Amino acid sequence: MISKKRFLVGGVALALIAGTLVSTPAKAASSELVIGSVLDIDKLDPHTSTNFATVRALGLVYSSLVEVGPGNKLKTGLASSWSFNAAGTQLRLVLREGVKFHDGSTFDAADAKASLERILDTKTGAAGRANLLTITSIVASGRTLTLNLSVPNVPILAALDGVNMAMLSSDDITAGKVGGSNKPNGTGPYKYVSWEPTQSVKFVSNPGYWMGAPKITNLTIRVIPNESSILSAMNAGTIQFGIVTDPLIAKQISTKSLKLFKVPALAYYALQLNTKVAPFNDKNVRLAIQCSIDRPEMIKTAMLGEGAVSGPITSPAYKSDPNARPCPKVDIAKAKEYLAAAGKSSGVTFKALVTSNGWATSVAMAQNLKAQLARAGITMDLDIVDQATYVPRWLGADFVATLANNGGRIDPDTMYTRYFTSTGNLNKVATYSSATLDANFLKGKSSGKTAIRTAAYTAISKELEDNAVWVWLATPYEYRVATKELKGFVALATGSLLPLRSASLG
Amino acid sequence: MRLAKTSGIAARLLSVFITLFGISVFIFIVLRVIPGDTITGSLGIETGVLTPEQIDDLKRYYGIDKPLLLQYFSWITSFLGGDLGFAYSTGVSVLTLTASSLPVTIELALFGTISGVIMGIAIGMFSAKKPGSARDFFGQLFGLLALAIPGFVLSTAIVTIMANKFGYFPNGYEYMTPWEDLWMNLQQMLFPSIVLGIAVAAPVMRTTRSALLETVDKDFIRTAFGKGLKNRTVQFRHVLRNSLIPIVTMTGIQFGYLLGGAVIVEKIFALPGMGRQILDAINKREYATVQSSVMIFAILFVTINLVTDIIYRRIDPRIK
Repeated sequence: MISKKRFLVGGVALALIAGTLVSTPAKAASSELVIGSVLDIDKLDPHTSTNFATVRALGLVYSSLVEVGPGNKLKTGLASSWSFNAAGTQLRLVLREGVKFHDGSTFDAADAKASLERILDTKTGAAGRANLLTITSIVASGRTLTLNLSVPNVPILAALDGVNMAMLSSDDITAGKVGGSNKPNGTGPYKYVSWEPTQSVKFVSNPGYWMGAPKITNLTIRVIPNESSILSAMNAGTIQFGIVTDPLIAKQISTKSLKLFKVPALAYYALQLNTKVAPFNDKNVRLAIQCSIDRPEMIKTAMLGEGAVSGPITSPAYKSDPNARPCPKVDIAKAKEYLAAAGKSSGVTFKALVTSNGWATSVAMAQNLKAQLARAGITMDLDIVDQATYVPRWLGADFVATLANNGGRIDPDTMYTRYFTSTGNLNKVATYSSATLDANFLKGKSSGKTAIRTAAYTAISKELEDNAVWVWLATPYEYRVATKELKGFVALATGSLLPLRSASLG
Repeated sequence: MRLAKTSGIAARLLSVFITLFGISVFIFIVLRVIPGDTITGSLGIETGVLTPEQIDDLKRYYGIDKPLLLQYFSWITSFLGGDLGFAYSTGVSVLTLTASSLPVTIELALFGTISGVIMGIAIGMFSAKKPGSARDFFGQLFGLLALAIPGFVLSTAIVTIMANKFGYFPNGYEYMTPWEDLWMNLQQMLFPSIVLGIAVAAPVMRTTRSALLETVDKDFIRTAFGKGLKNRTVQFRHVLRNSLIPIVTMTGIQFGYLLGGAVIVEKIFALPGMGRQILDAINKREYATVQSSVMIFAILFVTINLVTDIIYRRIDPRIK
């Protein structure tokens, strides 16, 4: 028999638990959006930021001269129009009128000039500097900005997009008030409020935004360092928007209660082969790898079907045709022929550098590739390391092969010049260059005509695949999850949150 | 007598000093041996687009251009002077970061330990009362399950069930300190404490059970029963009290483990504790943050050991 005392204690305990379960705080107001993100931002300087979370967050505060819109089309940003001279050596941009910084000062060409000069200054350590190196001089006059270039460079226009090309106030630059603990002062749709490291970043809408004040007035990016917990928080209604990268989590999203935005990413997965060292200094061995891999199988198993087979160029306007490569489908007999031609009929063994935490499916993909290659008598041993160890080894080309997840761009020039031209600053990592590649990159860079550029990038893609310089595998998807109440949001392949400026809740 | 006591304290303090010095050297060297540095940790593969001059500038800025010995002495003297350095990526001092993250970890570890000790001792006593019986079987089964189920599985299961079935996930809200919102703080600590408590309960339960079984056969227990004392009085005042030393030892070890080992639980429940601070700092190769945070943990661990020793003396006056 239960004594009165025990009954009372049990009752109090139950009441406490029940009270805990029902007394959650009120959900966010209709004009407030809370975004769940695994990553925290790591700095407040847009020009030096490379962390995805920082780029996404500061993209709400700062604007660039041009923007990438839906369908990966280049559109106007702070520049309302532009034109190149006939030789492609001068870009003239007309800046939007009436744009103001968050501190109330007016944006003009002098600010744009100071911003680009800050990016070009080696002391800044700007991430986008390499894309502006052809600029010889910048002339600012009222609302007109003129960039004089050392060589014809049409793709420089696309390079002006993004947070790394953010327009800053010239006064802030002169006073050294950018980054560090200085409050970001941009021209974007949201004003920065506060940042509590490892917890959250807060923004309020900018009533003076040139496109009109965003309808979502308060925006918080909350750090929830686990994607499964982000989904749980969305299901519980404590957050309204989630940034997800793991296909396993994306597949668990119930579209009955949530909206899932899924767009093919510009980023791509590739098995990078080091052509400077054995066994991959032999083209036939590289081609044997190319022919041994069943990409659809890898996507189906390791990526849970969440991806698409890809060639080198993922830029939508110049996309490589994966069927144009040697062995578009797995061909073990052909792979063995290539091995025999290399004098390695008994097979080859090599070690592949793999990051354990660079992206969600990295190890699963590596294990799948290892199993596939074994069918052709190729042994791929896995050297699995954490991302912080992976990066310096990747940069130093300290690998025989490596499974990589590289960022894509909407223009092939900014995407690959740094890798595959003989003077590219990542050519050491790419381990391959040639006179024909240099010539084709120059051809693509110099012309504004789509047909000429398409021909140049098709030739580049063909050379890279015919020589199996790397083995390009697939592109993943970019996922965004939102409450059903979110209206007017369009997901972009770049991962930008900028479309939230036109979205509303309810 | 007094001289012996003084030299004992001095020896103990010397061993503490040597331990902490060893840890400081070890963590400093380990961070430099693993590939990568603050630049690659901060910029990732974009480090590749930097010019050699830019890399030299950044090395100077981060203070990693100096000889290792100089770097060590610069850090350790600053640390001893109360300057823990600052996180280069955020510009925030490690002291500020730690001031906000350490209380979270201590609160979590305390709640986890308290709930674990209560569960562990209760189930241990429950089991030890009739060894080999059904209650002992279920008690031991609990211990086995609690040891076998990984914390991340239990955490994920709790989060998923509570969020999907009951629409309840307080950790999805902004973290609240007890002085900002005590009720919310307790809700945010509830499930992570239970997860950690279960992990602590298993070894405490097993230790309690075996310690009680060993004590219960002692002559003085038979004497206590012979004196006509009530069963409950004998169990708590004589059996449990005389079994406490191994339980306190195990609790001290588990508390120390929770201080440094709650990273996964902190991640799943989005708690901004020290575990996450150190893990993020390791990934970014934020040397000052990792070194100073590890030293704080080491000091805490050594202090807990000292406190455990003091508690021994209180429990068992025979220990000098």
